[in-house]
Amino acid sequence: MKAFFSLVAGLPTVLAAQHGSVGVQAAFGDYREVSSDLHYRGSGGGLTASFTFRKLGIEGSMVGVTYDPVAGSTATVSFKATQLDVRVRYLITGPVSAEVGFVNRKAKPEFEAQSMGAVRAGVRIAYPLGPGVQMGLRSGMLFGSKFSGGGTVSGIGALELGLSMAVDALRGRVRLTGDYDFQRVARTTGSGAAKADVPIQQALGRVGLAVAF
Amino acid sequence: MRRHLLFVPLLLLPAGLGAQTIQNATLRRAQQAYDNLDYRQALALARTAQRERLNGFDRARDYELLAFTYSAMDSILKAVDAFKEVISLEPERELDPTRTSPKVLSAFQVALTQVLVVRQLRVDSTDFVGGQGAVGIRYTVTQPARVVTRIMGGAAPLKIDSAVANGQVNLRWQARLASGDPVPAGTYTVVVEAAVGQNNFSASQPIRVTHGAVDTLPHLISLPGYEYLPETEIPPKSWKPMGLALVYSGIALAGTSALSSGDLGSASFREAGVIGGGLMVAGFVVMLRKPAPQPARGNILYNRLLREQLTRRNAEIAQDNIRRRQQVALRVVALPRTGGVR
Repeated sequence: MKAFFSLVAGLPTVLAAQHGSVGVQAAFGDYREVSSDLHYRGSGGGLTASFTFRKLGIEGSMVGVTYDPVAGSTATVSFKATQLDVRVRYLITGPVSAEVGFVNRKAKPEFEAQSMGAVRAGVRIAYPLGPGVQMGLRSGMLFGSKFSGGGTVSGIGALELGLSMAVDALRGRVRLTGDYDFQRVARTTGSGAAKADVPIQQALGRVGLAVAF
Repeated sequence: MRRHLLFVPLLLLPAGLGAQTIQNATLRRAQQAYDNLDYRQALALARTAQRERLNGFDRARDYELLAFTYSAMDSILKAVDAFKEVISLEPERELDPTRTSPKVLSAFQVALTQVLVVRQLRVDSTDFVGGQGAVGIRYTVTQPARVVTRIMGGAAPLKIDSAVANGQVNLRWQARLASGDPVPAGTYTVVVEAAVGQNNFSASQPIRVTHGAVDTLPHLISLPGYEYLPETEIPPKSWKPMGLALVYSGIALAGTSALSSGDLGSASFREAGVIGGGLMVAGFVVMLRKPAPQPARGNILYNRLLREQLTRRNAEIAQDNIRRRQQVALRVVALPRTGGVR
């Protein structure tokens, strides 16, 4: 009973230390694979959610982008990429946080583009531009990449870079978000004389609206 | 000329004696004769009046008239003797030096030194906290004498002072019993007894002592002369938000360019441009907006110090009030006096 009262008494403090948000996003991206001839651009939408408790934060997003071949591209068929990003963040010091998570992207039809999954680890630097305006810059590496068409990536061959911003509105209840993620995966297939570089590169921009609680 | 010098103060004599008037007819005639500068007649009538039944006031006026008359007739020794009788009858009697001739004043002063009296006994009316103040008691002894001052009226007489004194004496009485406790409330009499050989004289002054509660101090809500400072301050507008947005966006764009694979052609900056552009717009708006108040560390520390000081002072006041509630406020008031007793 005493523990229960302690928990109830400490609840406001705990609640004050946690923040969350759920939102929708419009996405637009650029996808390239193998060579500059296989070039797509597309748009779509997605969902995002985040939760912060003291120094710990977790955010996830699911986005679906329909990529169409750009003019001049040798590709003829569009495909839909559904990408799940999960990041767990821990504030180390000042504006610097460490991030780990994973990325999973599935392409449909599956033979039009590579589906991939990887574990990510990196660093994020966040800075308040002003009251209610946050910006962040992230950089990281992807490890253990798996592709639907096979292939491998060297230890430092898969890199990602991100830029994010969030502007609070309506006294912080609504949040205007913008995220940019760039991935470059130096994938290779085959071995020996048959070894071939088949890099994958995606630039994904997302703007959205989130409800904070 | 000499008569003229004496005439002026004597005409004003009744005014100096207050509202009481002479009752005895012979003495009134003697006074009239003196006013008419008929000193022999005044002397004869004054002596005749002495053999009649006179009240205290008339007797004192009779001797005073004799003293003035002897002074006018240059019989200084007799004038001094007459003044000695006046002083014995009215120890508090004073002559106005601005209206009395030096010769008469001189005779009066000589008489004062030859009679043992305690004059001008005064007790100051005052308020003070028991044990922290005192009542002022003053008197004048006309001759060197052993003077004992007592407080009568309580369970036992309290001896305040005992000393050989002459002239003006100032005493301080703390209104405490021998045990150190404040004297109980009530009416007391300050008695001053002077003795030289067989001569003695005492004067008294009634006083009333009342008890009351000691005022407690109110708690402070601020320290006089010190005010709290604002704990936030608005910093001046700066280019920093815009600059930082530019730097972050630039890093994103440069990073994109650097990380792009050469085999895949030139990188797309559309996505980074849109988000970076949005970030710069946000930075620009923030730069134009009124900056958010920032904590003023110096002021916060100052206010904390002030609050601590206030808390400490109020704790002291609380302690002081506890002590004050255990104390007694004494009020000592001098009551109308009935006069000295020989």
